[in-house]
Formats: sequence, structure tokens, C-alpha cells
Amino acid sequence: MLSAALRKELLLQWRTRSQMMAVFVFGATSLLLFSFAIGPNAEMLRTFSSGFLWLGLLLSSTLTLAESFHTEMENRAFEGLLLLPSDARALYYGKAIANWLQLTLLGCALVPVMVILYDAGTMQLLKLLVIIMLGAAGLSAPGTLYAGMTSQVKAKQMLLPLLLFPLIVPALLASVKATSLVILGDPMGQSKAWITLLLAFDLIYWSLCGLLFGRVVED
Amino acid sequence: MKSKVPYIFLAVGAALLLFGSYWGLFIAPAEQYMGNVQRIMYVHVPSAWSWMLAILWAFGCAIAFLFTSNMKWDSRMEAGVEVGILLAFLLCCQGAIWAKPTWGVWWDWDPRLTSVAVLLVASLGIMALRSFVDDPVRRAIWSAVATIIASVDLPIVYFSVKWWNSLHQQQSSPNTVSSAFYIPLRVNAFGVLFLMIGFIWLRTRVAALKLRQETAIPHTYEEAGELA
Amino acid sequence: MNGVVQGGWEFVIAAYTITGLAFVIYAISLFARLKELKKHD
Repeated sequence: MLSAALRKELLLQWRTRSQMMAVFVFGATSLLLFSFAIGPNAEMLRTFSSGFLWLGLLLSSTLTLAESFHTEMENRAFEGLLLLPSDARALYYGKAIANWLQLTLLGCALVPVMVILYDAGTMQLLKLLVIIMLGAAGLSAPGTLYAGMTSQVKAKQMLLPLLLFPLIVPALLASVKATSLVILGDPMGQSKAWITLLLAFDLIYWSLCGLLFGRVVED
Repeated sequence: MKSKVPYIFLAVGAALLLFGSYWGLFIAPAEQYMGNVQRIMYVHVPSAWSWMLAILWAFGCAIAFLFTSNMKWDSRMEAGVEVGILLAFLLCCQGAIWAKPTWGVWWDWDPRLTSVAVLLVASLGIMALRSFVDDPVRRAIWSAVATIIASVDLPIVYFSVKWWNSLHQQQSSPNTVSSAFYIPLRVNAFGVLFLMIGFIWLRTRVAALKLRQETAIPHTYEEAGELA
Repeated sequence: MNGVVQGGWEFVIAAYTITGLAFVIYAISLFARLKELKKHD
């Protein structure tokens, strides 16, 4: 059930991969714009680089998350998909995983932009990847739930960020701190604590949102 | 005739708050280090306690609604969220007014206040969501889900901000008042609590009335029903 | 922080005034909304 849903989602994403390019450009442009807030101060840009990366990813996520329910809304596909109660859960996790992969990809694609614009590189690529994956998971679980909700409403573009942003504050804080420690150095070994917090957030919301999604799309 | 009890709560709450505030402002001595500014705590701490209760109330009602599908719980939850917004707004104002003379800045990223600010935005989002959904049942389900998610987030937000802040801040947060100042604090605590109860009670009535009028069948349809 | 924070009554008054005003205004808004709704009932 889940694998079928996931396969469908990934196929959909592959078919609309040109949109991914547009979202990447949006994200990269955001990183560029952020640097204008600081000015050409290399030291400061490097210090805040991880914050910019995650803000850019967060803003881009509002685009990708909203899009992820586009097909269902276009073709009124919801009713057909939800004949069984287990369908809702499979639909949710299929979409959430697909969104997660998309955000992880986007995050990784933005890292070179960050390296170039802010001189913020690191050799700990594996650790950075883990942080990006966990942070993207933190965005994608509640994001998919709220995208499912707001896709059926008039003011969808305004509501999704309004609902999502306050919620993901802990994930944002932890992701930014952990990434910052990877880039700027971690003399006191604090990154483990932040990664643990991120993991806990992910576990809580991946289960809670999966549980609640069925009620959100029921008729 | 609807019960007058909520109005009694409001009256008693207001009286207690006035009495407690008078005591806290003019009778209780100035605090040792903080001087007179500490008197703000006599309204700030009671407001904080009531705010947490309002959030807990909204959370409980959301769960009750999802289990029972009884719209009464939706009205009660709506009331809890709105009164929570009122109290959260007050907490941020009081906190900022306290922080300026104390730390020299309007906002010092105190984990408790920052969590309140995050929940304030989340609550505003929930009310915005409600205003965009026309179908009452769907509105109730969705805002219940959003309320549960936001309430579960509160402790996580608190801990993450506390951690985040502890790396920078050496100053300690405003602590509860020492035992010498119990009376104004306790009186005001009950004052704000009773006001909150009265507000939630009346706001529930507002929500229930609105719902009834929203789903009311016009008379012509009732007559048409006889043909069916 | 050493020494005593001097004065500060303006802040105290501001805090209490905002609190009191907020409660009063909210109560009035509740009464008004109830009256309006009961009229149509």
C-alpha cells in the first residue's frame, strides 16, 4: 500500500522535475538576497550562513509542499484514493516521504550556493547530509499535513506558511545550530545534542501527523 | 434563561484583580534589587498561569471533539484559543515592558516568553484557518488537528529555545516572587483565573450561537421537508 | 546587575494599564457580540 503510494509520488515528481529547477532558483536567489541584508562582510556572512541556508530552504518548502497536493486537487483525485481507511495513512506517508526526498535534494543543492556566496564550507559532508535529511524531515511531516489541509481552502498560499512556520521553530533552531557547528567548528561537541533534538522532533511529528491525517482528508 | 454564572466569574475576577493589584502596587514593599519594576510580576505571573490553563483547555477540547464529534467541544475549543490569544498578547506586552528597564532591551529571548510568542502566532494561524473554512464540521476537525499539533509543540519549542538561549544568555529569567509578596500574587492569580473562566464561558456561547445561526434551516425549507 | 533599579513607575503603570484595558475591551467585545447574536436568534 505504502510502496504503491510512494511509487506514484516519485513518478509524479519525476514528471514535474522542471518545477524542481524553478524552486532551486528560488532558493538560490533567496540566499543571494539574504547576503544583501548583511553586506559584503565576509566574516559575518560566514557566521550566519547556516541560518540563511535553512531560511532559504524553509521558504522554498512552502512552494514544494503546496505543489505536492496539486494533482489531487486538479483532478479531484482525493475521493478515489480514499476508499479504505488505510489509504489515508499510505497517502500521507507516501507524500511525506516524497516531499522529504525533494527537500533533502534541494538542501543539498543549496549547499554549494552557500559555500560560494558565504565562504561557508565544511569537510564533514556526511554529517551535513544527516542534518539536512533530519531537518528536511522535520519540515516535511507537518508540512505535508498542512499542505493537505490548505490545498482544499481558498487562501492556501497564505495559510500554509502561517500554520507551518510557528510549528517548526524547534526544527529550525536545531537545524541551524547543528549546521552552524559543522561549518564554524564545534569545540564543545554540542552538535550531537541538537541532532538528537531534531530526531526527537521528527519522530514525534511523523507519528502524530500520520495519525491525524486521516481526519484531515475525510469527507 | 441562560445561566448568569459567567458574569459572576467576571465580576468576582475583576474585583479580585483590582484588590490584588492595589495591594501589589501600593502596600507591598519594593523588591530588593528590582525596585518597583518587579511589581509588574503581580499581573505577569498570574496571566502566565491562566494562559497555560487556556492552552490546556483548548488542547483538551480538541481531543474531546475528535473523539466525540460533538460540536459543543468545537465551540469550547474556539473560546479557549481566542482567550489564549488575549493572554499571550498580554504576556508579550508585560514581558517587554518588564524587560526594558531591567535588561535595557524590549525582548531578551527568555525561553518562556519566546514560547508564548510562538504559540501566539500559531493560535492566530488557527483562527485564520477557521475563518477560511465554511463547512462547520470540516472547520472543527481541521482546527482541532491544528490545535493538537500546536499544543504538543509547546514543550518542544520551550526546550529548544531554552537550549538555544543558554549558549548566549548569562542573565537569569524573571523568577516568581518571594514569599514576602504572596498575597497580591495569590489574589491576582485567582482574579485572572476567574476572568479567564468567565471569558471562555461567554466566548463559548458566542461560538455556539454563531454555529446555530450558520446551520439554521430557513423556515421555507422546513415546510418543504414535509413534502419529502 | 548590581544596585537597585531606580524608579520605573512609568513601566509599572504601562503594564497594568495595558492589562486592564485589554480585559475591559475584550469583555465589551464579548458583550457586544452576544447582544448582536441574540438579536438574530
